[in-house]
Amino acid sequence: MSYLLQRISPGRRRVLFSYVILLAVYAACIAVNREFLSWNTLRLQLVQATFIGVIAIGETFAILIGQIDLSVPWTITLSAILATNFAVQFDSQWVAFAVVVGVGVGVGLLNTLGVFVLRVHSLIWTLSVNLLLQGVALIYTNAVAPTTRIPPVASFLALGNIGPLPTGFVLWACCAVLAIGALRLLPFGRCVYAIGTRPAAALLSGVRLGRIYVIVFVLSGLCSALVGLLLAGYSSQAYLGMGNDYLMPPVAAVVIGGTPLTGGVGGYVGSIAGALIVVLLQAMLITLNVSEGARQMVFGALLLALAFLFIRRSR
Amino acid sequence: MPSERRSMRPPESRSRPRSRGLASQRLAEYAGPLSCAIGLVVVVGLYALRQPLILSPFGLASLANVSVALALAAVGQSIVLLAAGLDLSIGGQITLINCVAATTMGNSGLSIATVVVVCLLIGLCTGSINGLLIAYGRVEPLIATFCTAFIFTGAALIILPRPGGSIPDGFATALTDSWGPLPLSLVLLAGTVLLVWTPVFGSPLGRYIVAVGDDAESARVSGLPVRRIELASYMLAGLFAAVAALFLAAETTSGDPSIGQIYTMNSIAAAVLGGVSLSGGRGTLIGPILGSFVLAIIMSALAVFNVSAFWQNFIEGLILMVVLGLGGLRLLAAGNWLTLFRQ
Repeated sequence: MSYLLQRISPGRRRVLFSYVILLAVYAACIAVNREFLSWNTLRLQLVQATFIGVIAIGETFAILIGQIDLSVPWTITLSAILATNFAVQFDSQWVAFAVVVGVGVGVGLLNTLGVFVLRVHSLIWTLSVNLLLQGVALIYTNAVAPTTRIPPVASFLALGNIGPLPTGFVLWACCAVLAIGALRLLPFGRCVYAIGTRPAAALLSGVRLGRIYVIVFVLSGLCSALVGLLLAGYSSQAYLGMGNDYLMPPVAAVVIGGTPLTGGVGGYVGSIAGALIVVLLQAMLITLNVSEGARQMVFGALLLALAFLFIRRSR
Repeated sequence: MPSERRSMRPPESRSRPRSRGLASQRLAEYAGPLSCAIGLVVVVGLYALRQPLILSPFGLASLANVSVALALAAVGQSIVLLAAGLDLSIGGQITLINCVAATTMGNSGLSIATVVVVCLLIGLCTGSINGLLIAYGRVEPLIATFCTAFIFTGAALIILPRPGGSIPDGFATALTDSWGPLPLSLVLLAGTVLLVWTPVFGSPLGRYIVAVGDDAESARVSGLPVRRIELASYMLAGLFAAVAALFLAAETTSGDPSIGQIYTMNSIAAAVLGGVSLSGGRGTLIGPILGSFVLAIIMSALAVFNVSAFWQNFIEGLILMVVLGLGGLRLLAAGNWLTLFRQ
């Protein structure tokens, strides 16, 4: 057994570990509550995992190039509020998608401006962008009240079904295949890993740093903005603060999935397991019916235990 | 403050070419604090034009009171940053200790003294939890402190689910009043710095922290106990967080399980404004203090300038981005891209 493990590369082993953790967490969930065996409960978890998983696509790319994108929460909120309002205003649900793309690209370019052009640490720059977006959302909702009319297509994406599967989950699966394919097969993917491993070497090897940064951050912005529209459909409304729970869970998902924050190693396959783990942990704590404080403590401790057991720094 | 003159620069810094003159080196080192000082003068000047009362003893005390908690948190954060770490749990620690103080502090002198000591010890404990996880457990600082932030905030919510508790008036006035023209909160800040920062950074430990932050591998090869040094940096941050929490308790005379939230990000922002490097090994003491005064005073000045509350976040974000961006502008002039990666 240990011989077999030795033959797998360290990166693959991390991904394997993340799926082992997923199984363990799922087993724990079943032990806590038999409901987790039913398809209805699982379906609910899949929908929740879709939100975190789609954000984790952008986050995985950002972390792979050694950066991080923490402008997610208010990108979600702003895109949801603007998309639903504009869809009502122009009386066309497709306008919502145009808004999502606009917000995503805008946030991505703003992040690139700070992180790549001005070389500010991404942790601090993207959080400042997050604050700015929060401001924009507040100013906008002060002038125009958020609508409760959600474009049908958003509701379909978040609540509908394709066969037995939730539409959102199918969408996530498609995006996941594209993301994994891009990382594994396209020159773009190689460039992402090259930048994460050693930016100076990547530059000297002829990688167009700026182009990759723009693609990565715009992708991340688009993922968050799309999740904003999905969440609006899911809760049938867009409201201030709706993205607040999505700051750290996607990052945790990526890290549990075997992509260290230093970048250059890992990939999206593990992040999928990471997203499911985070969602299952949250669901398990909710079914345990403990107080908010105890829930936060247990969530933090469990995440910490996972990090301690599986994703420690070497040395 | 005596230690601000002490060079925080490691003996052989990779980031500075030798050809540059000593004067320009020193200037580069103090670029952050210097721009913060100019910013502070401008901000207070503008504030005073609008509201002249701000230059009275009462006004100065109120300016100091809104800034000191952030300054303490930022100094704690800077110690961790100097050792190339990161503490996202500063806010959580502040919340926890604030709630402990507000629920247990009685009215008698003895109980107040006991609670203060216990709170400082809790700060050391929470800091050492972070430090043990990161230095000995080898968990990434960002993930470890992110998780412990949940644990600390959760514990605070268990102790005090809703804002409440009480702080005796004597304790509150002792920290927030003025002594003549001198705000007592500034005395607290200076006292904490003199009692904690100065001895630490006057001793080899301070140099070791900077050395580890500059290059942990070189520090290890040179025989420094890297793990113990990292642990010490987190414990010091916890101690500063505890003082900040006690001050906040005195300022609001109550406990609040969400009071610490904003201090995590703002302490990092203040440290960066003050020229502390996020990649470790570079920074001053005075920088983060001035940085937090600028940030906190701008935030409280917005109300005076009739800025609608709806615009506050936008302006705060914009200021942060502009200031951070200005630091990066000079890099645009760099002739060679490769020099950027040696930063």
